[in-house]
Amino acid sequence: MSLDFIQTRRPASATSPLADARRRRQRADPRGRRKWTGLLYIAPAFLVYVLFVVLPGLHTVYLSMFNWDGITPATWAGLGNYRAVVSDPLLRGAIEHALVLIVFFAVLPITLGLLLAALLARHRRRGMTFFRVIFFLPQIVPLVAVGITWRWMYTEDGAVNQILRFFGLARTTRAWLGDFHLALLAVGLIGTWTLAGLCMMLFLSGVQKIDPALYEAARIDGAGTVREFWAVTLPGLLSEIRVALTVTIIAALASFDIVYVSTNGAPGNQTTVPGLLVYRLAFTDERIGLAAALGVVLTGLILVVVAAISVGIRSEA
Amino acid sequence: MVNARKLVASRRAIGAVAAASVALTLAACSLTPGAHNSSPAATGPVSTAVPADQVTLRLAFCDGPDMTNALVQAFEKKYPQVKIVPQYTSFDDYVKSLKLTMTSDNAPDLAEYNAAMKDLSAGGLIADLTPYEAAYDWDKAFPKSALDELRIDKTGKLLGTGRLIAVPAGLSLVGVYYNRQLMSRAGISAVPTTMAEFEADLAKAKDAGLNPLSVGALDAGALHLWSAILNVDSDPARVRGWIDGQAGSTINTDAAMQATQAIADYAKKGYFPASANGTSENDSATAFSKGSSVFHVNGNWAAAQLDTAMKGNVGFFLMPPGNAGGSAVGNGYSVAYAVSSKTKHPEAATAFLDFLHSPEAAVIESAGGFLPPNAQAAPSTTGVKKDLSVANEHVVAADGLIPFPDFAAPAMLDALESGLQSVIAQRMSAKDFLDSLQTVWNAYHGS
Repeated sequence: MSLDFIQTRRPASATSPLADARRRRQRADPRGRRKWTGLLYIAPAFLVYVLFVVLPGLHTVYLSMFNWDGITPATWAGLGNYRAVVSDPLLRGAIEHALVLIVFFAVLPITLGLLLAALLARHRRRGMTFFRVIFFLPQIVPLVAVGITWRWMYTEDGAVNQILRFFGLARTTRAWLGDFHLALLAVGLIGTWTLAGLCMMLFLSGVQKIDPALYEAARIDGAGTVREFWAVTLPGLLSEIRVALTVTIIAALASFDIVYVSTNGAPGNQTTVPGLLVYRLAFTDERIGLAAALGVVLTGLILVVVAAISVGIRSEA
Repeated sequence: MVNARKLVASRRAIGAVAAASVALTLAACSLTPGAHNSSPAATGPVSTAVPADQVTLRLAFCDGPDMTNALVQAFEKKYPQVKIVPQYTSFDDYVKSLKLTMTSDNAPDLAEYNAAMKDLSAGGLIADLTPYEAAYDWDKAFPKSALDELRIDKTGKLLGTGRLIAVPAGLSLVGVYYNRQLMSRAGISAVPTTMAEFEADLAKAKDAGLNPLSVGALDAGALHLWSAILNVDSDPARVRGWIDGQAGSTINTDAAMQATQAIADYAKKGYFPASANGTSENDSATAFSKGSSVFHVNGNWAAAQLDTAMKGNVGFFLMPPGNAGGSAVGNGYSVAYAVSSKTKHPEAATAFLDFLHSPEAAVIESAGGFLPPNAQAAPSTTGVKKDLSVANEHVVAADGLIPFPDFAAPAMLDALESGLQSVIAQRMSAKDFLDSLQTVWNAYHGS
């Protein structure tokens, strides 16, 4: 730093070509050095990142090539674990379930969030903070508590069935998490409940950045509520939608807590998700290699989807 | 900031595996996964004398903190020169960290037995207690069936044979709880003595408009029922062989077919509610305690809760045998402690294990909700707890304790739970269910 300072301030004393070259080099020097100083600044964080994220990640890839119980010497498996991920119906089923969960964790919350944002944003109402707190509450509650609470609400005598009975729908009541057809839907709705508020918050803050003049212009042109939403609100929220999609789709694909607590994959493996199986394979089934392979596949899937979202929405915008 | 929380939370599942494996590798100081510990050298004759020097032991455990702490205190009172520091970890965390804990240079001297000990034993990290068994005559002091389930061969896969790696502090036992009032309302005059009588009682209860059974099949409830029916119809040696991992064992037996078919039939006939698949075993026990059904299959761990809630209205019997007078069998296991092969004080550690069958210990174990391995020394009890200790004495005398079927392979618990959920929902035949179990078994033990 101090050297840079002195060198850049030193007056040019010669005009020969050689001195010119030297001067150019001197001028170029600080820039190069500044580049290296920049790297120096990020070095501590970079080191931590490499040590705790990149290396463990690479090590997971390495482990996925072994059959290993966690203790005794491992045997080389090559790509065998990856073949198992693709061919084992249980593991493939889990990935399919995660894809179904995207509807409940991403599509529904974003739709609901947009709807709520459109309702709450058009006019300044009193008590906005109240609505925001109410809809945001599910985000504050730990997911394990959310899972346990919903598990109770879904039981035979739980709140969900009580409400159905109240409305004379006693014939539709059941132990929701024990139903082979509806368990995944029931679990998915927990995710919808959790994530809708987050999406609404994102969209509400996004709406406030939209130039009010646009709304005014739309109204003068005779646009109704619906038209205004499609023409002004939605285009203005594209970057927020991209963030919401990224976060919620990752939540769907990498879901673990809610499923683990509410059903643990029951009934009959109808609600297994990759995150749950990674945990199960590694910590109870003693198949670290297969767990690592599934984790790598899951990470790859998430990266692809996230990349697709950021490319797709940017080109639209 | 919210996004960050979600991202961190969702990445945790994947990251945990990576982190754990990195730590394991660092611990082993090599890139190729897996520790290469030399097996502990067989030592000569061992001493049963408790060392006279001041010794401090560390004990890692996850079950029954009250019982464990009381046992430690009673032991320290008897041998003041030995100090034991109990280190409690919740069950989930214990299971997750056990391998790291036991492989570390700072491993505790004593640790509660867990299925993960099988690999640790194969890796040479758990002390072989067989010489101490001979020196202390443990084969006479502890029930044979309970001790046998803590033996393991060199590969760490075959149970019931080879070196002894842990000693039990308290036994568990599964059987049938019944509601006295509802039983008489259903017109059932006495506790059934054969399986046929039990099934007739279920029908009577159904006819009387009562719910015969409470089953929590969302987790382990259905597997306890299935296993109880399986045990009474089978040769215990054959069932144990399959659970222990003896080569060539199969679950494709007539008895297992009948037990599975019984579960499907009970579900079809409405012997337990259609909501069973969405009810946890804990919740089903609570429902039973509130009078939701006449019978309920569960373990001794539920006794304290049921006793408090139902007072004198609850009783317990073992799943009755196929023929009257058949031998007493039941699923059960033990809370047991193992010794690290890295301990510097094996004599003091094994002295604590020996203490577990003492009359003082029996009182503490019984108070902790377990059945003492020294069944005769169990303090006298009343009500359902008395039923339990009587049943335990019968099982111990008949050598009829059978380990839980999910011990057959690490992935067996999930296979049993999800499979029985499918059987209950009439979506899987008995044959397919048993085949799926055998597939898991073969994958682990080799066909």
